[in-house]
Amino acid sequence: MFGWHGKMIRVDLTTGAVSVEEVDSQVAKDFIGGRGWAIKALYDEVDAGVEPLSPDNKLIFGTGPLTGTPAPTGNRYMVVTKSPLTGALSCSNAGGVFPTEMKRTGFDQFMFEGRATRPVYLWVHDDEVEVRPAEHLWGKTVPETVKVLLEETDPRAKVACIGPAGERLVRIAGIMNDEHRAAARSGVGAVMGSKNLKAVVVRGTTSVPLAEPEAMKDLCRTVRAEVKADVKKGSSLREYGTAYVPIVTNEIGILPTRNFQTGVFEGVEGITGHVLTERYLIRPKACFGCPIACGRLTRVDDPVYGGQGEGPEYETIAALGSGCGLDNLAAVTKANYLCNELGLDTISIGMTLACAMEMVEKGVLPQEDVGRSLRFGDADAVIDLIGKTAYREGFGDALAEGSYRLAERYGRPEFSITAKKLEFPGYDPRGAKGMGLLYATSNIGASHMAGDLAYPEVFGVPERVDPLSTDEKPRLIKRFEDAFAVIDAAGLCVFLSVRYFFDPKVDLWPTRLTQLMNYATGAGYTEEELLRAGERIFNLERLFLLKAGFTGKDDTLPRRMLEEPMPDGPAKGHVVELGQMLPEFYRLRGWDEDGVPTGAKLTELDLTGL
Amino acid sequence: MDIQLKLFATYRRYLPPESQGSVCDLGVPAGTRVADLLAEFGIPADGSVILVNGHGAGPERSLDSGDVVAVFPSMAGG
Repeated sequence: MFGWHGKMIRVDLTTGAVSVEEVDSQVAKDFIGGRGWAIKALYDEVDAGVEPLSPDNKLIFGTGPLTGTPAPTGNRYMVVTKSPLTGALSCSNAGGVFPTEMKRTGFDQFMFEGRATRPVYLWVHDDEVEVRPAEHLWGKTVPETVKVLLEETDPRAKVACIGPAGERLVRIAGIMNDEHRAAARSGVGAVMGSKNLKAVVVRGTTSVPLAEPEAMKDLCRTVRAEVKADVKKGSSLREYGTAYVPIVTNEIGILPTRNFQTGVFEGVEGITGHVLTERYLIRPKACFGCPIACGRLTRVDDPVYGGQGEGPEYETIAALGSGCGLDNLAAVTKANYLCNELGLDTISIGMTLACAMEMVEKGVLPQEDVGRSLRFGDADAVIDLIGKTAYREGFGDALAEGSYRLAERYGRPEFSITAKKLEFPGYDPRGAKGMGLLYATSNIGASHMAGDLAYPEVFGVPERVDPLSTDEKPRLIKRFEDAFAVIDAAGLCVFLSVRYFFDPKVDLWPTRLTQLMNYATGAGYTEEELLRAGERIFNLERLFLLKAGFTGKDDTLPRRMLEEPMPDGPAKGHVVELGQMLPEFYRLRGWDEDGVPTGAKLTELDLTGL
Repeated sequence: MDIQLKLFATYRRYLPPESQGSVCDLGVPAGTRVADLLAEFGIPADGSVILVNGHGAGPERSLDSGDVVAVFPSMAGG
């Protein structure tokens, strides 16, 4: 095989047995890799009704055929499992260097099953695979864990691990790699913790075989030259990271503010990119082989909020900043460092805290239950409760369940701004209607990464569409969801892919991406086949959700989004007209009126007989 | 008439020195178009997202007193 190694490692943590398996070449092509291979394996091997934190759930780390190749931003991996937060799919993506190093071990995918009786970690050094004891690491933070593991394996190795939050089965715990990058969303860290798997450490020297290395090199050189020219003209992502975004979303009135009570934040100038760059940035930091470098290596010199680390990115600022009513970027940055060290999803903890703050504000949540004051804008409360959540101490034990279970406990689930129990990211869909349809129909719940229509609705990439209109949104969301499934499965980052690997039209036609895939794999994809593979992945994920008990009724949004008009700003008066968009979306997807794929659609996608 | 100009991300470099944060208050002649503003400050129209009062607008848009014009580059460089 080219592009793919065609091999995966299966680790039975209950017995400690490790086996190497070959991947069928037709499955490899039909499901692309990463996210696609993972859902195929999960669907085939795991009862969709499984309790997510039981040994019967499986945890999959998957790279794609472009991970570890010269393809710019070919540095991603996916973590796929059944989510303990949502009961739906977890499908979480991260970059950094770990994914490339993992691919260079000579294996495309690691699958973990069962549960170790004692804490362990996996050490993979090329084809040497070893399950090692990790009792000495249990309880350690992410930086402490990485330090010890590099000492006892290889200083050149790369580490993905959980922090105290994952160990304590916090439902919003992520998996950190390279210390600061996160496969954050929907509780993948808790699944890893439930398996007593503290870390995965990789060191690889096997290069990825390419079908057409010269053609690959030429195309990558062209793309890099284009990116370089654009960066030279002025790259917002290079200069400010994604932190430049709050002021943009605020301007169109969709910056989540005080638990989505409004979309404009009076303190936005204090939490936006130029403040980060001028005050706290040490230097931009790139994932492996990335010509953009949107990562932020930062240091805050402050008696209360001082520290050094990476971040914050936009989503973190939207959740822990404006979402919680905080206009103090030093405090948001400190909160970000803590989440990285303890292994928490910054979006979900930020929005869960915001939910709790609103419940206190509205008199639903008694302050004595919290054990301290908890008001919008209270930075010290945010930082204190992040620590308590990771360790499940006091009220942190309730926050550790995520906002839906928290709000439900007090009989007011409407205060949880979630879809399928996953906290919203940083775009209020009342002012970006396509994002509303995306949150409602994504297979992991409210994720922007499942088909980020903010590109055209907010950023004008590849071309601008009216964010307040529902016209064309069902068609665009279908295309974006399918195209993003391809990007994820291929092992690429969306930041560069949307602009440089698709034609510059909003329909996202994958001309260059198809070339890249063929130069890597030699599989002879057409553009249509590649998008159909994305659609196949999306539909198989949907089938997993349906088997897990989800129905079309779950393709919905919180009452606030559907019935409470945005109170002010450019989106004033708007709600999400989901009822207008959803039937058309189902029709375009080839699903029946209950959101179930028709037999004809499954036949078209070769998904029959599963 | 008085308007407000906001320049975000890398376009901050086009802000006049008296600006506060990302914002500059301007007095402009009646009938001023977005394109006139862009030209005055040397802001490229190509590859830019233009908002007037938070809603998408083209360079030919005529401005009214009190309008807020925000401009930023569509995501070049990724």
